[in-house]
Amino acid sequence: MNKKLLEASKVDRYVPAVLVAGALISALGFVLAFTVAPLVHGAAVTPELIAGQLVANQLLFSQKIFYFHVPVAMSSFIALIFTAFYGVRYLMTRDEGYDVRAKTATEVAVVFMIATMVTGVPWTRFEWGVWWSWEPRLTTYLILILMAIAYFILRTAFSDSEKRCSYASVFGIIMFIDAPICFMITRLIPSSTHPVVFRTDSGLPPDMLVPFLICMLGIVLIAFALYRVRLRQSLLSLRIERLKEELDELE
Amino acid sequence: MTGKVSAFKQFKILLGKDLRHEMRTHEMLTSMGLYAVLVLIIFGVAFAQLGKAVDVAHLSGGLVWVLIVFTSLLGLGRSFSYEKEASCIEGILLVPMDRSVIYLSKLVSNLIFLSAVEVIALPLFYFFFMTSVAPAPSFPYSIASVVLGSIGISAVGTLLSSITVNARSKDVLLAVLFIPVVFPLLYACVAATTAALVGADAWMETFRTGVLLAGAYDIVMTLASWVLYDFVISA
Repeated sequence: MNKKLLEASKVDRYVPAVLVAGALISALGFVLAFTVAPLVHGAAVTPELIAGQLVANQLLFSQKIFYFHVPVAMSSFIALIFTAFYGVRYLMTRDEGYDVRAKTATEVAVVFMIATMVTGVPWTRFEWGVWWSWEPRLTTYLILILMAIAYFILRTAFSDSEKRCSYASVFGIIMFIDAPICFMITRLIPSSTHPVVFRTDSGLPPDMLVPFLICMLGIVLIAFALYRVRLRQSLLSLRIERLKEELDELE
Repeated sequence: MTGKVSAFKQFKILLGKDLRHEMRTHEMLTSMGLYAVLVLIIFGVAFAQLGKAVDVAHLSGGLVWVLIVFTSLLGLGRSFSYEKEASCIEGILLVPMDRSVIYLSKLVSNLIFLSAVEVIALPLFYFFFMTSVAPAPSFPYSIASVVLGSIGISAVGTLLSSITVNARSKDVLLAVLFIPVVFPLLYACVAATTAALVGADAWMETFRTGVLLAGAYDIVMTLASWVLYDFVISA
């Protein structure tokens, strides 16, 4: 067991500052998103009336969701990459410190996934005119959320720590392999009943790109700070567990 | 007697043990087969009010996979639990051999049981629901997607069921882990099966994409499970 993995690192001293910086930067990004970035047209779906409103090809205020929704979604992906990475590290070394890191990364991912879903529902409704669509990105994301939830159900099902850590690591890696395949398959097989409705012109003009990148930076910083805070707490509780076990042996 | 037993011989012995166990108890085939028939009956209830208003061919691809997934879940859940009950798995693990041989033998035995049930259940499905419509000429192609889907289900399911067999609520846990992981495969297989069963214009295009993607999923997931299996079974 590598003792160093269980101890608080020097990074933790800067975590509160990073959290505040992330909050300020993303707040700045949102302000710019509402002031500098222009309104854009909705995706070209068949014109449809929802609640008395035509929802295609009009200037959509709801597009502002983009500046929160996309950075949050990308942060959750980044967190899941770390879940798989630390899963591999755990299986290589059998060091519980890595498993705690994988678990913490997944926890952050789940929080960000919920935020993505909550902002995603108004997005699909006002941009695409539907509440839900079995569109590749949505489908993949839903499956990913289900797998992340399954990851925690898996963890709680085992009391033996070695079993729990190994199985969770294996499942974290499976999750990482499965998600891209899921996206590819749902993207490549056209569904006859649900047309692919997202727009394909992905280039952003600079007055949209700059606010977006600022938001992105802010949200990633917040994700990192949350990860470190939670990791510190989890490591401390693991150390307390260890100390309790040692005490029991002494008695 | 030489000391070295080839991996293939170990594989044959382990597979033979599973098949012999099944021949003597008929545990898997009866429970899976019966369950499949029950699912068909539920489909019958769901369809009871439709009459001939709905084109069954469009629905059948999806229904076939509902049937296969739920039936396979039952079989996969059982496949390790009898090893656990009599502590057979500890005996197998004591043998100094490559763990992936255990994985492959379990994969193949699960695949055999699933295929055996499919051989009974899918003609029954046809008999109950599809005789009212004339089969499309591309009908036989759907077998390819069923084969690829069953391989993928067994590959992923064997790995996941050897995880969940140690848990308290193993059946629920298996479903919770298995269905999201196998989702992409199902999506591809349903697309391919439906394309073959309906046989509309340019069905071959959808069918080919579906089958190729299902094949790719099978290869990637089998390799990944094979590599990861050692960590699961030794934990």
